[in-house]
Amino acid sequence: MDELILAIKECDLSENAVCAPENVTEIFEYRDAIVKILGFPISRTVLLIFFAGFLAILLLWTGLRRKAARPSKYQLGIENLVGFVRDEIAIGIIGPLGIKYFPYLMSLFIFILIGNAFEVTPFINFPITSRMAIPMFLALLTWVIFVVVGFKRNGISYLTGIIWPPGVPVLLKPLVGFIEFVSTFVVRPFSLAVRLFANLVAGHTMLSLLLTTAFISFSAFFAGEISAVKGLFGFAWWALALAIFLFEVVVVMLQAYIFTLLSAVYIDTSVNAEH
Amino acid sequence: MVSELSGAIALVGYGLAAIGPGVGIGLIAGNAVQAMARQPEAAGMVRTTMFLGIAFTEALALIGFVLFFLA
Repeated sequence: MDELILAIKECDLSENAVCAPENVTEIFEYRDAIVKILGFPISRTVLLIFFAGFLAILLLWTGLRRKAARPSKYQLGIENLVGFVRDEIAIGIIGPLGIKYFPYLMSLFIFILIGNAFEVTPFINFPITSRMAIPMFLALLTWVIFVVVGFKRNGISYLTGIIWPPGVPVLLKPLVGFIEFVSTFVVRPFSLAVRLFANLVAGHTMLSLLLTTAFISFSAFFAGEISAVKGLFGFAWWALALAIFLFEVVVVMLQAYIFTLLSAVYIDTSVNAEH
Repeated sequence: MVSELSGAIALVGYGLAAIGPGVGIGLIAGNAVQAMARQPEAAGMVRTTMFLGIAFTEALALIGFVLFFLA
């Protein structure tokens, strides 16, 4: 983060079209500890993680605390959200058995949604899901659940169904089995995590660089350091950033949905494994 | 000649990796719109399947994206 501020000060608009720090990954790093708890430094990112968890609990608790006969709009909204995850994702994908996994999918959905939404929240402007640790941890949780459920429900035939797939010519079975094994146990959690991570990284990079450049152009223009044409250029960056901002609002919701949906699909392949 | 190239060649790699998924996602979304237009009552199911298909297709582009950072 300091590097971004440094880049702002050094940015020369007569040479660069967009102001960016030397190494763009720096805009995702908050190294300074805000507080220290038991010797563990707590940075802004960690605080935001706890804040997201707290916000998720608060939203659901206040929304569903009492079931009013005439629900308020807020309660209706929360109920719609919960009903959507239950009917469309948990039961819609996994089937009647899916109600058992609904609490997990619901917490996943609302935590990712809030974590993503930090990207477009004024004064926070940092999606916690753009740090690989969080999507990877959530993806590993899903991985543990679908592997454990697969073995629990199907026994060893879960593994043999993957590495010795039925209906495949015997000569091809080792090859297909190997590919299936790698794609199920290695690529699945990785691609699940990277999908969320990459979308948020791309969004945050675009927004922060464009808005920074627009801010510098505006301030330089009003200070009379650059010509009106260059100032207009800054206005174009600003307009583009606003358009991307709206697009990112959609991405934020879509990626939370897709992560939850794919988790449900992976759990479904274990619950309803075909033999 | 290749040795004279400078700059981030990973950018080119990411561009190449994005071609296939770009075409694929276009096909999926286009066909989903067609299906929804022909049978509006199946729109919900088509939409879910479309997102699934997009998510799986997108994975290839994302692997390219990660390689861009690793390179």
